[in-house]
Amino acid sequence: MGHTEHNDFIIGPDDLILVTGATGFVGCKLVKRLLDRGFRNLRCFVRESSNLNGIEALSATDGMQRRIEVVKGNLLSSEDCLTAAKDVRVVFHLAAGTGEKSFPDAFMNSVVTTRNLLDASLRQRSLRRFLNMSSFVVYTNRDKPQRMLLDESCPVDTHPERRGDAYSFAKIKQDELVVDYGKRYGIPYVIVRPGYIYGPGKKAISGRVGIDTFGIFLHLGGANKIPFTYIDNCTQAIALAGLTPGVDGEVFNVVDDELPSSRRFLREYKRKVRSFKSVYVPHALSYALCYLWEKYSDWSEGQLPPTFNPTDWNITWKKTYYSNQKIKSKLRWSPEVTTAEGLERFFEACRNGASRA
Amino acid sequence: MELPVLKVAIVGCGKIADAHASQIKRIKGCEIVGVCDREPLMAQQLSERFPIKQSFGDLTELLSEARPDVVHITTPPQSHYEIAKLCLERGSHVYVEKPFTVNADQAQELIGIATESGLKLTVGHDDQFTHVARRLRLAVQNGFLGGGPVHMDSYFCYEISRSGYSGALLGDKRHWVRKLPGKLLQNIISHGIARIAEFLPGESPQVIAYGFVSPLLRSLGETEIIDELRVIICDDERNTAYFTFSSQMRPDLHEFRIFGSKNGLALDQDHETLLKLRGTAYKSYLEKFVPPLNLAQQYVGNILTNARSFLARDFQMKSGMKYLIESFYTSILQDGPPPIPYREILLAARIMDAIFAQLNATRLRAELPETTNSAEIGALESIPGIHE
Repeated sequence: MGHTEHNDFIIGPDDLILVTGATGFVGCKLVKRLLDRGFRNLRCFVRESSNLNGIEALSATDGMQRRIEVVKGNLLSSEDCLTAAKDVRVVFHLAAGTGEKSFPDAFMNSVVTTRNLLDASLRQRSLRRFLNMSSFVVYTNRDKPQRMLLDESCPVDTHPERRGDAYSFAKIKQDELVVDYGKRYGIPYVIVRPGYIYGPGKKAISGRVGIDTFGIFLHLGGANKIPFTYIDNCTQAIALAGLTPGVDGEVFNVVDDELPSSRRFLREYKRKVRSFKSVYVPHALSYALCYLWEKYSDWSEGQLPPTFNPTDWNITWKKTYYSNQKIKSKLRWSPEVTTAEGLERFFEACRNGASRA
Repeated sequence: MELPVLKVAIVGCGKIADAHASQIKRIKGCEIVGVCDREPLMAQQLSERFPIKQSFGDLTELLSEARPDVVHITTPPQSHYEIAKLCLERGSHVYVEKPFTVNADQAQELIGIATESGLKLTVGHDDQFTHVARRLRLAVQNGFLGGGPVHMDSYFCYEISRSGYSGALLGDKRHWVRKLPGKLLQNIISHGIARIAEFLPGESPQVIAYGFVSPLLRSLGETEIIDELRVIICDDERNTAYFTFSSQMRPDLHEFRIFGSKNGLALDQDHETLLKLRGTAYKSYLEKFVPPLNLAQQYVGNILTNARSFLARDFQMKSGMKYLIESFYTSILQDGPPPIPYREILLAARIMDAIFAQLNATRLRAELPETTNSAEIGALESIPGIHE
């Protein structure tokens, strides 16, 4: 994304942009990218308890005339949403209930908050686009048009209530809500679905590689490609999706090129960050275990929650290839940072303690 | 004889409502006919996941259209009284999540309405109905203590982190928990207080409470949320109890110990173990070897008991809630006594009122300007406990 092409976008450099979740891993980088791009009027919506160091550092970096307004509040409050959305031209809605194990909590912090923000945005005649941050987890990864290829044409889960994961349930419902508001009220929306966003500051090895729930790291990814997108590449995609004309109502998946296999990633991680023991679990076995876990969960009336189940196995550990053709062709996006370089930066940050598995 | 199917409704569709819906679904002879939340999206998500036929955004609509026999109230505590009162007035039995109400006066009034109407009430002190809690109760009833309790010690701790519920509370100055008279404590400690209330014979115990904001919370800029509490309780028959709430001590215990004149019992909720503490001593060095062996034997017994429950599919994290709900429904259908006597509900509420009154008085005293006159200070100092 060049620096002098505002005519290519739906708003000008002084139009007001709202970023929710602006202090998060992605939000902070997005704010920086928008500023770098020359947008001078940003509103960052943050929780009262958020650490503002990142945003404050951005506002103090140079003497350029730009305005970063920090609005503290809670998206569960309709009043706070009205304050946040006032006179806004583009909304980048990144805030979500992450890390919630409870379905109602995840739903409340993703869906109810999004509804409030959509309602507030509807009142703004000036709104040109509502960008909704989604995730790969919304796909079923079954019954795909091309057998092993996951792209934007693949079906989204219509029974999220069967998932064992509160975050997935909430994200699917959030997407449904945004699409519904688009249909019913004509809200101009775009949905962005990144794969696994990584980079310095990210705190974990993706669950797509494996899990350490049972005291030893179980390597479940095997030869699967991991749908990585480096933080800089991802924020570039988000910015383009929020600002490029003619893409209202579109969904964009974001994954980088030259994706590593789970096995390669794990090997490199152990070599360059820290060594630890892991046990490879073949796909057939992990599927069987997920199947049995779900059956036991049902049979025992929830004595073990259905954390592992075939539905979630399909989206997390099934052998899949990923496409980024749509975002490349419609938004003219291409990764700025190669996967090899991104992984090097990530491993280095891990070694220095900025990230930890 | 086949019992009629109870029609059940849930009001308030947050996190704890999930636990209620899960456990109600496990009970035969009842059906969830509707859920309600003033945020209709929350009601919808609960009804879709369980699944339940009707969801409502308005309580009166739920009561009129679904006509439930029993209503489970799982809303924030400030609304318990109003919702329970309306449900009772409309002829429904009511299960209220803990804390029952925000004060003892409201609790008294609800119990009065229920009693006059011939309806049942209970409170969500489900920790008192876990497998291990029921074993403790049985041992007390069988006279293991050698008479009434002499002393009790109840720990109910809560690890505060910057994520999840506590993170939301710390980060939101408008959070509903901050508007409770006892704030965080009021929303959490009733399980631990209720254990004491169950076995404390006296009706008007004296309460001495000392609470403070932990250094950790202070370092985060928190000044309102008291997260460390120590309480001494003594009734008029000189039965005593200690209660401890801590967000900082590790392990964050959920334990209850009760001592009689002969023996004691120690319940560990987290590990689901019950130990019988014998009051008799062995001679000389035997005291150093036989009791530890006995304790080891008891731990093995606890492991086997837990394993049996697990294999029998009766060891869900909320098995106590299922037992309490089932007992409550049985009391409705058979017109028997409710599983938690009203006396206990009231006594727990009165003890909590006394704790919060003292903590608030202490806070006010600390905030008084130097010019405050002696009469105003005296008014604050007259709140030491339930009775003088």
